[in-house]
This record gives sequence, C-alpha cells and structure tokens, in this order.
Amino acid sequence: MKRKLGALVTSFAVAATVLAGCGSSNANDPKTITFWTPLTGEDGAYMDNLVKEYNATNPEIKVKHVVTSDMYTKISTVLSSGKGVPDLTIIHADRVPGYVKQKQLEPMTAVMQAQPELKEANFLPQAWGAGNIDGTQYTVPLDIHSNVMYYNKDLLKKYGAESFLDDNNVTIDEILSLKGKLDEGDYVVNDALIGWVMLAQIQNLGGDIQKDGKPAVNTDVMRQAIEDVKKINDAGLMTPFGEDGYLMFQSGNVLFSTDGTWSSTAHASVENLNFGVTNVYSASPDKFTNRASSHMFAMFNSEQRTDEKEQGIAAFLEFIRSHSVEWAKAGQIPASKEVVESPEFKNYMQSFFTSNEEETKSLYIYTYEYYPYIAEAVDKYVGDLIRGNTPIDEGLQAMQKEVEDKIGESNGGAAADSGK
Amino acid sequence: MKKKLNLAPALFVGPHLILFLVFVVIPTIYGIYASFTQWNLAGSPNWVGFANYKTILFDTDSTFHMQFFNGLKNTLLFVLFTVPPLIVLPLMIAVALSHKKVKGKTFIQSVLYVPGLISISAAALIFTLIFNKQLGVTSNVFGSTIAWATHQPYAWLTIVVLTIWGGIGGNMIIYRASISGVAEELYESAELDGAGPIRKFFSITLPSINFPLIYTFVMTTAGAFNVFGQPLMMTEGGPQQSTSVLMMYIRQLAFGTGESIAGMASAMAVLLGLVILVVSALQYYVMNRNAN
Repeated sequence: MKRKLGALVTSFAVAATVLAGCGSSNANDPKTITFWTPLTGEDGAYMDNLVKEYNATNPEIKVKHVVTSDMYTKISTVLSSGKGVPDLTIIHADRVPGYVKQKQLEPMTAVMQAQPELKEANFLPQAWGAGNIDGTQYTVPLDIHSNVMYYNKDLLKKYGAESFLDDNNVTIDEILSLKGKLDEGDYVVNDALIGWVMLAQIQNLGGDIQKDGKPAVNTDVMRQAIEDVKKINDAGLMTPFGEDGYLMFQSGNVLFSTDGTWSSTAHASVENLNFGVTNVYSASPDKFTNRASSHMFAMFNSEQRTDEKEQGIAAFLEFIRSHSVEWAKAGQIPASKEVVESPEFKNYMQSFFTSNEEETKSLYIYTYEYYPYIAEAVDKYVGDLIRGNTPIDEGLQAMQKEVEDKIGESNGGAAADSGK
Repeated sequence: MKKKLNLAPALFVGPHLILFLVFVVIPTIYGIYASFTQWNLAGSPNWVGFANYKTILFDTDSTFHMQFFNGLKNTLLFVLFTVPPLIVLPLMIAVALSHKKVKGKTFIQSVLYVPGLISISAAALIFTLIFNKQLGVTSNVFGSTIAWATHQPYAWLTIVVLTIWGGIGGNMIIYRASISGVAEELYESAELDGAGPIRKFFSITLPSINFPLIYTFVMTTAGAFNVFGQPLMMTEGGPQQSTSVLMMYIRQLAFGTGESIAGMASAMAVLLGLVILVVSALQYYVMNRNAN
C-alpha cells in the first residue's frame, strides 16, 4: 500500500512540475534580451539571421528571438499577469496608438539616449512618425511594408499598355480603356489586398478615415472610391469574385496584381513570370498612394527590464539600423535611411518606392487611433460592395455603424448608451 | 472507531480536478463575470450589469445585435448541416464493417479515421486547393466552373464536406466498438425468427448501442456549435457574412486588431454556452426517454 501511495504521490508531483513548467520563462535572465515577433512566415527566418549576426558580434547581452504565433493575444495575457513580458517586441504600426492609450508601452527615451543615431533624421519619416504619440517616441521602426502593384511585362506589351507606366500612376481610367480588348481568361487587375487598395483610394481622392477624431467611413469619398473600383469589376476587367487572383497573376493571366512588397520573392520564384513593380492604381490622375504599415520595435511595460537590458536593446536596434539590408531579402523596405540609400538596397525591387521623394511619400501609414476597427469593417464589406453583391449605401452604413459601436464599447462609457 | 483517512482516491482524482479547476471552472466563472463588464483586457473591468446582454438581445440597431443573431443563425445552420451526417454516416459504415464478409476492416477503418487526426487548418488548406478553381480537382477533373468560396450554396458545401471528412472517423470508432459488444446470440435468434438485416438493425443493433448514440449525438452537436476554423479558413465568413459563425464574431471582438471588446465578446460566448447547454439537455432528455 505504501509503495502504491508513493507511486501516486510521485506521479502527482510530476504532473505538478509539468504544469509549473508551463509558466516558466527566461524573461528574467539578466543576460538575455527576450525578443518576441509575430513573424511566422519566412520573414521570421530573415529576422533569425539578423539576430544571429548580432549575437556573433559578442554583445554583452545577447538577443533571443522567439517567433510567437498569435502574439498579440499572448501579449495581453502576459501583460495582465505581469510575468514573462518580453523585453523587446515587434508590433505593427496600427497597434501603437491603442497600446499607448492603454499605457502599455514604455517610451524609447532611454534607448534613444543610449544610441544617439536612433533618431528621427535617420529613418523614413512616416515610419518614425507612426511611433510618435503626442511628442513621445514609443517605437523604433524596422521597416515599411506596403501594398504595391506588380505588373506582367509581357502582357503589358501584348495589349499595348506599357504607356500606363509612364508617369508611375496607373489610373482607373487607363485600366478601363482595356475593356473589350483582352483575350478570354485574361484580366487587368486582381483583387488581392482589396481593403488596402480602397484605403489608398481615399487618400487619392483627398479624403480621410476620420474627421475631428471621429471615424468617417460613410463618406462621399468612400462611396466614390467604391464606385470607381466597382467600374473595373463591372467592365469584366477584375478577376472574378472568389477566384485566386494572386495565382492567376503568377500564371500569367493578369496584368496587374495589387499585393504586398513581401510577395516579390514568391513572384520571383515563378518560372517565366516577367514582372515589375509600380504604385497601386489610382482613382485620381494627380495622386497615387500605397497603403502601408510598419513593423516596429516596442517595449511593453515590464518591471524586470533592467537599465542594462535597455542599453542592450539600444545596441541591438542600432545594429539593425545599420545592418537591416538583410531584411530587404524578405521583400520589405527597411526603415533605416542609411540602408535604403545604400547601393546594395538598389538591387531590390522594392527600392522603387524609395527612389525619390514622391515615391517615399506615397507609402501611407494610417495612424488614426481607431484605424484597426475601420480596417476590420472595410475588409468585411468591401469585397461584396465592389462586386455589387451588397448595395453601396447599405454597406457604408453598416461599416460606419460597426466602427462607431466598437468605439462606443471600447471607450469605457456605459454600454447601454452605445446603442442609442 | 477512528475512520482511516484514505488518500488514494483523492490522489487519483486530484490531478484531473486541478486541471479542471484551472482550465475550465475558473476561466468559465471569470468569463461569466467579464460578460457583465466593459473590458479591454488591459485595464480593470468596468461593471455594467446586464447592459451587454440588453444590447445583444434587444437593441436591434446595434452591430452586436446583428452580429450575434447572424452568427447564431449561421452556427445553427452548420449544426443542422453537419450533425445528422456525422451520426448517420459513421453508423452506416460501422454497421457495414461489422458484416462478416467485409475484408480489410482495419485498413478501411484507418483510412476513415486518419483525417480526424489532421489539424483543421492543415485540412482546410488541402480542401481550399481541392476546390480552387485554377488548381483544384473539382474544376480540372470534374469540370466545375464555380468559385466555391464566394457563392452559396457552394460556400456551405465546402465547409460541410471538410467537416464530414474530418469528423466521420471518431464517431465510427465508437460505434464499431459498441456494435462488436452486442451479443451474437441476439442476431442468431432473430435470424431464426426470420428477421432480415433491416429488422435486425432497428430491433437489435440500435437499441443495444443506445448509450453511445446519445453520447455521440450530444458531443457532436456541442462540438458543432463551437465551429470556428472551417469557415474561417474556407470562406472567411463570406459571401456577405453568410458563413460567419458566432465564434468568428466573438474572436474578432475579443482578439481583433483593435482595442479588445472582451465584455461584449464574453456576453456572446455566455449566450452561446447557454444555447449549447439547453440543446444538449433537450437531446439527452428526449433520447433517454425514448430509450426507456
């Protein structure tokens, strides 16, 4: 009986240890910077390389890169328990205002003091600016990743559309001019990242997604943007709804693909795909915009992050600032001016977007506090709107209402009021 | 007389009890509490009483009202589309496999069971390729010209096919095991009385596996109410949110890209939990009463 009991106690103890092990983490190790990123794709491997290169320089405090799936959910968990908060994190630009409002980010002040080159003048302005809230710098940008438009050179030639590229602004009117001229099964554009394309049109048409801090989705400009893009669909020039437009571009049936900077590596691996990159098509002949976001280094509040660690983080970020051309391999545009101005970066296709000031300015990052709610609503409705499945008025009202209701709930006002 | 304290049972039950407390009871209680608050997961919850429930259930203008009822409707449709096949098909297969003359039983059983071991996301990737209009088997071999994910009823069809493919094996194993436990003499005496195969199935097999049937019916239904991965991966809730199930809305509210709306999400989750509870209780009651 005694032996049995002993075995039971042992198994119980093992179970308890295993459970306790779940909670352990090396975030408290003073000689390691725990660095979480949401880079679950192949970009995670490029970040691994950068971290490896940095650790090879034998810094006092090494960096441990942890690719974290579902990172934002995990962040909220560790923040509420206060345990296991990573020393350094990569977050998306859209998230910064929300985290700052909730007072969850530590300013980069000490980091910037430790490495004086980590300053506004050394980074692309919109990437740096997206981390600046009310004069305080909360993030240091790694990159800008943008919605861009790839073109199939052979198809452009076939249909005599090379002139579209002359002013680097392919307009919707130019696209519509190909109506009736395409072979069956060929299309002018696909609908990849269509939500971002719409958000770019709003800028092209001189509008915005907010007015005096209030969300503005149900606007004339938004309606105009939807109607303009819908014209492409109605003319039969957009890849059919639900079809894999990205793949159709790769198989040589689509002239223009509006996907991301990061897709260039995948397109390059397709045999016989002769392609280039330009700005996303525009509803206006005078302006073009590429809706962008940024991966940014940020520090969530943590009592365990010592001053020495902050020095270590600063050293790492300075290393990234001067060495992030590696990051261009992942198809991204590094945010460091030193890197984008280097001759090496010019070998990458996406250097087109930093080739002159007008191009750099076209990379537009929305910094409105409630942008994420707007993006969610746009993604939910816009596909059906440009395909004519949902009446535009109805869709615009539903989007505006969804955003307002979510803001009402998140603002801490009485929930009962939000429905009024 | 002094009663001797026996630790053994407590130690056997203990580990499970701790896990149950930590991962089920405490989160459930906290979730119910959160449903009465306004909470962004970061600050402290702000008590609002029944306001979230009022908005969801009665404020017809509210987005959350629309999302809850649209999500619940689509979830119910999913339950209706998938639960009957997930009971009937495995049962038919199990009965067929129990026939003496069937060869390669273990092999067939494995082929049908393996899909259940594959994660939903991996399985969904396979099926999006199968239904892909450019690359897919459906278009290249069977000549379909439909963009499945964005047109009804095909969008539902892809979800249902994936679910049945992945879910058939689990129930089949349970039925196989219980059918093999039915006494052979019952069938023999039925045969002597002149019963045919159909009569034997309804009069012997079905009543004998009554309990596993109730169990699988209740569990499959409860599982189906929690559907999330299949529509997310296959159709992203479209077209026009006609396959957006409740869990997708709940997930986006609590863990979307913006500030979390966890209170409202919890209230929706509690309501979904209540629906599952009522439906399961009804199923259990009805089936058990019929069985007795």
